[in-house]
Amino acid sequence: MKDAMLVMVHGSPRPIANTDMFAVVDVVRERGVYPIVEVGFMECNEPSIPQAIDRCVEQGAQRVIAVPYFLHTGMHVTDDLPNLLDQAQAQYPEVQFLMGDYLGHDPLLADVILERAKQVEA
Amino acid sequence: MGIILNMSDAIILFSHGSVLCGAGQNLAELAARMQARGDAAMVEVGYLNYSEPRFGETVRSCVARGATEIIVVPYFLVAGKFVKEDLPQCIANAERAYPNVKMRVAEAVRFHPALADALLACAERAQAPAAWRDTKAQAAAFCRASKRCPLYGSNDCPATRASEMVV
Repeated sequence: MKDAMLVMVHGSPRPIANTDMFAVVDVVRERGVYPIVEVGFMECNEPSIPQAIDRCVEQGAQRVIAVPYFLHTGMHVTDDLPNLLDQAQAQYPEVQFLMGDYLGHDPLLADVILERAKQVEA
Repeated sequence: MGIILNMSDAIILFSHGSVLCGAGQNLAELAARMQARGDAAMVEVGYLNYSEPRFGETVRSCVARGATEIIVVPYFLVAGKFVKEDLPQCIANAERAYPNVKMRVAEAVRFHPALADALLACAERAQAPAAWRDTKAQAAAFCRASKRCPLYGSNDCPATRASEMVV
């Protein structure tokens, strides 16, 4: 089964705010776990999440694993993103859609935070 | 080496805050986990808006427990207005209140290669549609019956759902 990873991002009126996220996604691509890795924005920036899903399907994705690039659980993670994925599932019934955990929930965040603290301590 | 944190130090995770009940639960658990593994003697959360405790209150409580050096880490993906304008204001207030406490501000989360591994791990835990709204149940579990919570008045809010049953 050909998997795609879709990184779902909030988006920002200042596109430069996405620079760090794109760098993280580049590392994800380098890891080579998923043959397709796309970014989709909820607001402000393109491609939108539906557009990014189109791109995944055009590249032959049979399964889309959508991961929220969010630190917190709020209404976006709880409602808005699942709604977008429901719509995508209705549009592409032959594709399987899964939703991943949100970024802030991963235990590795503790290591990132600690490193930030150490950098200012040094 | 200078990379081992002094055990008298506190780390405060500075976050925006949310009107959604239970939204802070994950961050509270993150801070508790960091403190438990000894990242600092105290690891606490301080909010700018909506959620408790507010940043100033968190500083007060750390100082009351003996903190003399505090490192503030902005729990933000991007260093925008909240980190560049609001946080310095909070720091200035805290420094006025506690002139003998040394406060330093770290970088926001921004870029780190571990975030790529975190993202891949999040993908590993991917679930089918039936579980996509489980975080809403988490919000309900920490319901404060707040009228500002977006779930208030909906069937997902235990407080308002209960009052409907009474009526």
